[in-house]
Amino acid sequence: MILQAENIYKSFGNNQILKDLSFELEEGTISGIVGENGSGKSTLLKILVGQWSPNKGKVTIFDKFGYCPQQITLFQNLTVENHFKYFAAAYGLENDEMHEQKNYLMEFYNFRKYLNHKVAHLSGGTAQKLNLCLSLIHSPKLLILDEPYSGFDWDTYLKFWDYVEKIIDENCTILIVSHFITERNKFDRIYKLENGRLL
Amino acid sequence: MSLKRIMISFKMTLLMLLRRRIVLILIAVIPVVFLMIVGLTSTERPLPFRLASLSEETIITVSEKGINYVFFAVSSVGFLLSFLAMNLIQKDKDTTRRLIICGYSPNEIVIAKLATAFVFMLLIATYVGCIMNALYNVNNLFLFLVSLVSIGYVYGCYGLLVGSLIKRELEGILMIVLLVNIDVGWLQNPLFYEEAQNQLIIRYLPAYYPSQSSMISAFTEYSIGHSIALGLLYGSIFLILSLIIYYRTMKVNK
Repeated sequence: MILQAENIYKSFGNNQILKDLSFELEEGTISGIVGENGSGKSTLLKILVGQWSPNKGKVTIFDKFGYCPQQITLFQNLTVENHFKYFAAAYGLENDEMHEQKNYLMEFYNFRKYLNHKVAHLSGGTAQKLNLCLSLIHSPKLLILDEPYSGFDWDTYLKFWDYVEKIIDENCTILIVSHFITERNKFDRIYKLENGRLL
Repeated sequence: MSLKRIMISFKMTLLMLLRRRIVLILIAVIPVVFLMIVGLTSTERPLPFRLASLSEETIITVSEKGINYVFFAVSSVGFLLSFLAMNLIQKDKDTTRRLIICGYSPNEIVIAKLATAFVFMLLIATYVGCIMNALYNVNNLFLFLVSLVSIGYVYGCYGLLVGSLIKRELEGILMIVLLVNIDVGWLQNPLFYEEAQNQLIIRYLPAYYPSQSSMISAFTEYSIGHSIALGLLYGSIFLILSLIIYYRTMKVNK
């Protein structure tokens, strides 16, 4: 097991968002969480990655994880290269390791030529690729993705699934949170978040 | 905490600031405009005023232009540093939080931001002090620069506090304008202070000691140690509060 969420409760005032929510993720699997707007997907994600605390319950992640937020969350005045350095430092990666992963990811997602460009000058699609790659540079064992393909073009979408297949073979676990799920056949399990619980 | 991570964060924060050309241009232009307006509008008539922070009753006579030069040099450093520090803390909060989720500690981030603010404190204070000295020869340039650094510190730390307390930029700017304008931009002017009805309130405002040390070092031989120490103490209270608030708002459960 790589992630265990036990009896999670979260409310804002009188509005109970998550009620006694529990689930586990096994290694090497792809899981999805779907739900309508306002069903609590973002709240659950923020609790899973540690940004918010639950009112009750516990989340345990047993290995290193990568998190890609839905919005492009980057520094407008830093270059692509600067971002790789900054995030590699956050993950505690050595320089060699960082360069190797950076080169591989940039080749794979085909945006190497933008290495020295500021994020402010990138197209939305390229910024989205960088947004995703920053959650991958430390070769996480669990990848938590929030609406990952909303800004992708067709090629990037296909490459994304190629990459997913590759890392699943390396026993990585993937959790995709979205308001809809495509490629249902690739998922081991799809949960629906409704009334604060996973069905 | 890791020194390597702090250094990388410091470098990136500095890079982000240096790449904002309009900010650099404004930093260069604002003090020049302030001091130019003083030069064009103030007279050379001598004005006596009391240096309120000295224990003995000390009245000195300085030209109106000299007083206004010092006052506006202090104001421009206070203004610039408070805006800059607020911006450092407030801008890109979501991306900074992502870095913290990825492994940075809020303390590492805040130390890097502080170090960047200190670099700009030194640069801005030196820049403004040198322009000011070219226009009006201050008595002790080194101590005058130290005084400008101290107003930069006090108002830089106030900016950090506002930035960590207030989420949105406009509200933050209004908080800064409110205090900076009333305090460093008005009440600390020695000519106003001299005639003020309630000087005690003015003495408890953040810019009081840095303004006094600037006047003392610009016009006299008196020591400014006491004023600098109390100014630093005031700034440090802002700093500690901002660190606590920033840590509480940015920490993640790991």
